[in-house]
Amino acid sequence: MRMRRLRLGVAACLAVSLVAAGVTTADAQKRGGTLRVAYGNEILGLDFHTLPGYEMLWVASNVGCGLISLTPDGKIVPDAAESWEISPDGLAYTFKLKKNVLFHDGTRLDASVVKFNIDRILDPATRASTRTFYAPVHSVEVLDSHTAQIRLKYPYAFMMHMLAAYRTGLILHSPTATQKYSVEDRKAGKPEAVVGCGPFKLVEWAKGTHLVMDRFDKYFEPGVPYLDRIVIRVIKDAVTQMAAFKAGEIDFIADFSADHVDTLRAQNPRAQILTGKETTPMVAMMKVTVPADGKPMSKDRAPHAIFNDIRVRKAVGCYGIDRKEIVKIAYKGQATPWLGIIPPGSLDTVDVTHMCPYDPAKAKTLLAEAGYGPQKPLTFELMTNTEKSVFHVIATVIKEQMARLGVTANLRLVDKPSWMLTATQDGPFDMYVEDLASLLSVDQNAYLSATTAGWNSTRHVDTKVDEYYARYAREMDPAKRRAIAKEFQEFSADKLYWNTISGSPFYQIAQPWMKGYVYQAEFKVFYKKVWLDK
Amino acid sequence: MRIYLLKRLIEIVPTILMITFVVFVMMRSIPGDPVVALLGDAYTEDDAIKVRAEYGLDRPVLVQYVIWLGKLVRGDWGHSILNGRPVLNDVLIRLPVTLELIVLSMAVALAIAIPAAIIGAVRQNTWADYTATSVAMIGVSIPEFFIGVLLLLAFSIGMGGMLPSSGWVYLPGTCPTIVCAASLLGNAHHVLMPAIALGIGRAALLTRLLRASMLEVIRTEYVTTARAKGLAERPVVLKHALKNALIPTVTVMGLQIGFLIGGAIVVETLFAMPGLGTFGIDAIIARDYQQVQGFALLTAIAFVGMNLLVDITYTFLDPRIRYTG
Repeated sequence: MRMRRLRLGVAACLAVSLVAAGVTTADAQKRGGTLRVAYGNEILGLDFHTLPGYEMLWVASNVGCGLISLTPDGKIVPDAAESWEISPDGLAYTFKLKKNVLFHDGTRLDASVVKFNIDRILDPATRASTRTFYAPVHSVEVLDSHTAQIRLKYPYAFMMHMLAAYRTGLILHSPTATQKYSVEDRKAGKPEAVVGCGPFKLVEWAKGTHLVMDRFDKYFEPGVPYLDRIVIRVIKDAVTQMAAFKAGEIDFIADFSADHVDTLRAQNPRAQILTGKETTPMVAMMKVTVPADGKPMSKDRAPHAIFNDIRVRKAVGCYGIDRKEIVKIAYKGQATPWLGIIPPGSLDTVDVTHMCPYDPAKAKTLLAEAGYGPQKPLTFELMTNTEKSVFHVIATVIKEQMARLGVTANLRLVDKPSWMLTATQDGPFDMYVEDLASLLSVDQNAYLSATTAGWNSTRHVDTKVDEYYARYAREMDPAKRRAIAKEFQEFSADKLYWNTISGSPFYQIAQPWMKGYVYQAEFKVFYKKVWLDK
Repeated sequence: MRIYLLKRLIEIVPTILMITFVVFVMMRSIPGDPVVALLGDAYTEDDAIKVRAEYGLDRPVLVQYVIWLGKLVRGDWGHSILNGRPVLNDVLIRLPVTLELIVLSMAVALAIAIPAAIIGAVRQNTWADYTATSVAMIGVSIPEFFIGVLLLLAFSIGMGGMLPSSGWVYLPGTCPTIVCAASLLGNAHHVLMPAIALGIGRAALLTRLLRASMLEVIRTEYVTTARAKGLAERPVVLKHALKNALIPTVTVMGLQIGFLIGGAIVVETLFAMPGLGTFGIDAIIARDYQQVQGFALLTAIAFVGMNLLVDITYTFLDPRIRYTG
């Protein structure tokens, strides 16, 4: 009798497990296949620590691994680190590393690797793109073979966010490969020099032709990645991207033009159109100061002839711009009219758009107070660049809105490098339209708008902005931090050193058979859990 | 002939030097800077100064040019400022794609232009002539990118994706990369639309030119004599008239190479082809001076080389033409 019960029990368990196995099999991710990806822009190079460009960072996310990562809902999750501890004073971050993490060259990841990589970023000679974010770091100590401690000079509330996701986060290079090969080898994309610990290893980068990554079979996370290979091609023209997508020549468009989304949707009703709250600001920046001695970047500053006057900034950038109309025309309503210094989808963002309602009468009054009117009409130059067609559309709408105020905005269309040179090197401009960078938090915007930032393109000199950034970043209490963020964004909207027009929507397009991809805006493009259902 | 060729080859050197010098100076005169792109988000004025010094960009333009030329003489085409890749290697990878595109687009142009011009000339002022002339006018008027988009809509998006919209499949045995697709049929599929897009405009121009030339030739005395001798119309037109009418057309074909290289930039971008055109435009946009120089040098060599070839072709078309030192 007891034996029978046992048999029945075993049979029941087996039945349950078979059903479970059946469910699992039916839903199981299929292994294998090649994911064909289209990029809209060329990859600049493959030294992940020094070179700019999202296209490169999206490769880095897959070739490299970091200590920690970030989920779409903002949770910090382990990557090569299995756990971490933050000291009560917020000055020491101790990371316990997983013991099975291998680089693609077969070397093992240990605590010395973490020290090597962060020291490399901190070294001014490296000229790391992220060095500015590591300003609070004092040193990295190796506590034991698999425990690394990052010590800070002062508490920094965004240390974990920075390591996880600022410019895709900390990417760990193999020290062996880094020391053996030159930075030029890595920039050029020599596979033996570009060695990470991510789910895919670099096979080949033939600039202008393709970038190929293959599955790394010894990746530390069991069972992933599912894909055998990823092939990335550059297709710049949106019409060609659509044709290639419609013909099934590509599976995924990593960055698709907002202008063409409706057309693509109509042509491909089953396409997965991935987007979210905007994390990139579309701005109309007004220059505040100019070099007094005429030498660009001079520390000796003089007021800009037009926009140093807060009344003119407010007349033009605040009450004179109809943000809703711009969004309606330029984005067919598919963006958020916005004013805050960080975009709608960023951490601790606050909607302060109500501070600048469209009010042409008030704008005219302010202009009159500043001495402009029919006798002395205001004329300024509005620069934008050819990178995205939407920039020119927005600039044209602003020109039209200015005309309603009796203000003449003369458009100057330049190419992207000319704009970059003008913006970063204190070149002559009155206002420019651009969409700058994707921002995870208020803190991340410091490198674009603090007085000391190279990218402080309006060249404002108000150190109160720097104080806000410092207070915000060093406040460890989230509630108090949010209060500072709100106060700062209101301050910024009032002063208009930074003038947001709207969010800049970001779209990715996937074929219906591409499964397991999680949209994380420009911050992360991970393929490790992607599989092809075909 | 040998002495003539030698003289022409020697003449090519200052021409190419002049072209590369003009491009060198122009690139450094226009706004924009590779250092800004190189430093990206981490841009600081101090770093920019250091990087400019590292790459010698802070030196006088003439000094920079002499340094570049000195390296070139030693076979060093330089390295990309942005990604450190050797320029010569990158342009040589791209060159076969563009060469194939240019040769085939010229073939498309001739395949359309020769019959259209003959029909237009032989049947002057008939509906056939008017049709050929009108089509030629339309062909000249429509830019390459628009023809390309129409072809994409018709053959890639429409007709069940009959032809691939983008990318490249190499001819067997010509793969320049490790991961590479190569097949004759695949190559034909990929090059067809770009060659047509690039060739149609040239076809239109050549049709008009060849038609005018044919009209002139078929009224000459030797053609009348040939007819009077009782030769059939076909050999009179194809053998006697066409050969002579082709001489000005061949001259223009040589000059058209420059336009084809320019057109290749547009067509390669549209069809996402890994050719020299996309290489050149990327380099110019990024202000990657070394790559731009490599592009300018190679296209200058291609241009003067093709024109030399055209001059040599004259001797085959007209036996009276003889080159002497």
